[in-house]
Amino acid sequence: MNPTLGRNGRSARSFARRGTAIAAAAVLAAGLSACGPDIGSASGPAAGGAMLEVPANASPKGEITIWDRSGDLFKVFDAAIRKFTEKYPGITVHHEAVDIDSKLQNTLITGTDVPDGVFLDDAKVGGYVEHLYNLKDVLAPYTKDIAKQKVDVNTVNGGIYGVPFDLDPGLLFYNAKALSAAGIDPNGIKTYDDLLAAAKKYQQYKPGAKPIHLEQNAFNSQLQLEMYASQLGTSLAGADGQLRLNSAPYQQILTWLDTVQKDGLGTRAEYLKPSDVGALDSGDEVFYPWAIWFDYAPQQQLTATKGDWRAMALPAWSDGGARSGAMGGSSFVIPKDAKNPQLSWLLYQFLTFDQAGYTAVYGPNEVYPGGTNTSIPAYQPAADPAKPLFQPIDAMGGQDLWQTAVEAGRQIPGGAPIPVWWDGAVDYLGTDLQKMLDGSMTPQQVIDQAGKDIQTNLIERK
Amino acid sequence: MTRPAPSGAATVFREGRRGPAVPAGPRTAKAAAPRGRRTFSWRRRLAPYAFVLPFVAVFLAFSIYPLFFTLRLSFTDWHGTGAAQWVGFGNYRYLLANSAFWSSLGNSAVLWLLVVPVQLVLSVIVAVLLNTIKRLRSFYRVAFVVPFVMPLVAIAQIWIVLFDQNYGAVNAVLGAVGLPPVGWLVTSAWAKPTLALLFLWKTTGFVVLIVLSGLQQVEPGLYEAASLDGAGRVRQLWSITVPLLRRSLMFSVVLQTLAVFQIFTEPYVVTKGGPYNSTTTAGLFLFNHINRADLGTGAANSFLLVIVVMAVSLLFVRLLRAED
Repeated sequence: MNPTLGRNGRSARSFARRGTAIAAAAVLAAGLSACGPDIGSASGPAAGGAMLEVPANASPKGEITIWDRSGDLFKVFDAAIRKFTEKYPGITVHHEAVDIDSKLQNTLITGTDVPDGVFLDDAKVGGYVEHLYNLKDVLAPYTKDIAKQKVDVNTVNGGIYGVPFDLDPGLLFYNAKALSAAGIDPNGIKTYDDLLAAAKKYQQYKPGAKPIHLEQNAFNSQLQLEMYASQLGTSLAGADGQLRLNSAPYQQILTWLDTVQKDGLGTRAEYLKPSDVGALDSGDEVFYPWAIWFDYAPQQQLTATKGDWRAMALPAWSDGGARSGAMGGSSFVIPKDAKNPQLSWLLYQFLTFDQAGYTAVYGPNEVYPGGTNTSIPAYQPAADPAKPLFQPIDAMGGQDLWQTAVEAGRQIPGGAPIPVWWDGAVDYLGTDLQKMLDGSMTPQQVIDQAGKDIQTNLIERK
Repeated sequence: MTRPAPSGAATVFREGRRGPAVPAGPRTAKAAAPRGRRTFSWRRRLAPYAFVLPFVAVFLAFSIYPLFFTLRLSFTDWHGTGAAQWVGFGNYRYLLANSAFWSSLGNSAVLWLLVVPVQLVLSVIVAVLLNTIKRLRSFYRVAFVVPFVMPLVAIAQIWIVLFDQNYGAVNAVLGAVGLPPVGWLVTSAWAKPTLALLFLWKTTGFVVLIVLSGLQQVEPGLYEAASLDGAGRVRQLWSITVPLLRRSLMFSVVLQTLAVFQIFTEPYVVTKGGPYNSTTTAGLFLFNHINRADLGTGAANSFLLVIVVMAVSLLFVRLLRAED
């Protein structure tokens, strides 16, 4: 046999060549892979800390790229940005509609095409602080006038990483026409026990109805749970990052929700999905404890009951307690890799703290002729009960929602920071909450199981 | 015993490997010069490498580099900024001990069972019918492919409306015949079959195309001979069509196995992985880690998933070879 031929007719030389080629490729790839992050011995990533300074130039010039969510608010911001460029003609703003949730993280990690400013959910700010400017200094002149809850949710390890934008007070939306027919006076609902009693009375009036909304989406149900917790001045974790789930406020809230479920008083439906809209429009679901942005439903989603809905402050957890908690909300963040961070700060300063700016956002505009009424400003001088930025809402029977929301917003207690792992907790707390609302877990089991899972999978792995 | 190679065999072999032999005849002065011949030879030798270089560069940049990068990442705790912390097999140990990881694999496996066998049977039946029918053949073929080319998110939204537990069209039909409503998307017992149905509807047309192409390779004479031997249609289907379609079917199985274990958009849009994570597929579980910037765990998760999918795919390839 020819010694140069292999068993399959391949020459040893050919094998050697291929082997060399593969080895070279492997070495090259291994070398390339070393271009990744440095391997350090520190116990986690370094803390963020680049402090943004106020721009010194009186006539700033330059270009900035701003990311916003697409949709109605994008158009509102678009118009407000035109006002900004009238004030700062030297600044060109590239306003882009972006799927922020799917794009921001990769952009920040790779450092490619990083925008100068981003509109971001409050619940997600904590997760990005390593990539963001600390805005504590530039915000200092305004901090005392911003709703404390909004300062808290943007604060991580003493730094403030978002320009607080909107405040989203929780309100009790109710079908006034249906309650009136059932002989229920909504003004008599002062506490959550009163709400249970009213729901029972409504059910007697309309057998089969399940008057109170019980959220069926894990994320939204955790968000709503945090609204109730915010009302009690707490949140999933304190400023020190310690879990606060196993506490009296959470036991009280979960027990109440469990009672609604056990007493058959709750409609299990996902926020404004067909089941929810159907139950609302049929008069089966008449109480909706939710953020102010539920007012979108009577304005855009409901048909049969449009005009029947009103809003009032949330019931208190105990007599004299706070009548609102925050649910959701957004802020503006400025990435450390931004090319012109100071110019984007000027934009956000204008939109949030300048009367011309916040009036352009919340006042009558092309998208909302009566004003943008799905939230209120977090900057308290802008949220003046006597100076409404948006008009009474026809789809809510002409109710002056500004007055109701601003007064509720002032009752939101502070002390409710959002931990960086909040989003990840949905897999545990949100899921267990759903099990409880379906009757397969008790409140204490939710606290124990979700607490253990969050501690193990999120806190200890950070 | 060592047999001497025939005279000139090695030369012929090399010439054959390197292209057509230079035609016999008088050579030009340039070609005849040793230096010129060496240059020409080097060009000939380097030309193939030059041609494949762009592919190799792209392959290295977009396949090999990410692969090694991800492998390295899987041994670290990194959240996208600062120095990564070397954790060895920590991420792998964490995942292998995590019930949610196994649950996500289990969810994908159940979806595979609900989708792939049904899809194979369905595809053979539809492909045979499409191959048999004469009238409106093109229309039917297009009709089966349309779901495959429709945007998945649009289909997912249709599914939400169709299968709503209280106000969906499907439960309305059930109610019309006196049956109780079903929580298609909100009960862990029904959510997976409902998602499987979506996947079936969306992708069966693609598998039908594969089977159809296999079907058209079958020699018509086989059916004629079988018919002469007295074999009926069912017997022909079972004894001729199915065995000869084996390669197409196995190819479909491998492709659909890969697809099922990568299912992401359907549960992401329709159920968000719920209820109770019962539709959190392997793909969605992986996404959740990456979406939370837990990149080290996400990388380890992707490697574990690759191992599982490769093992399953190799199993099918082995089965195919064994049959051959």
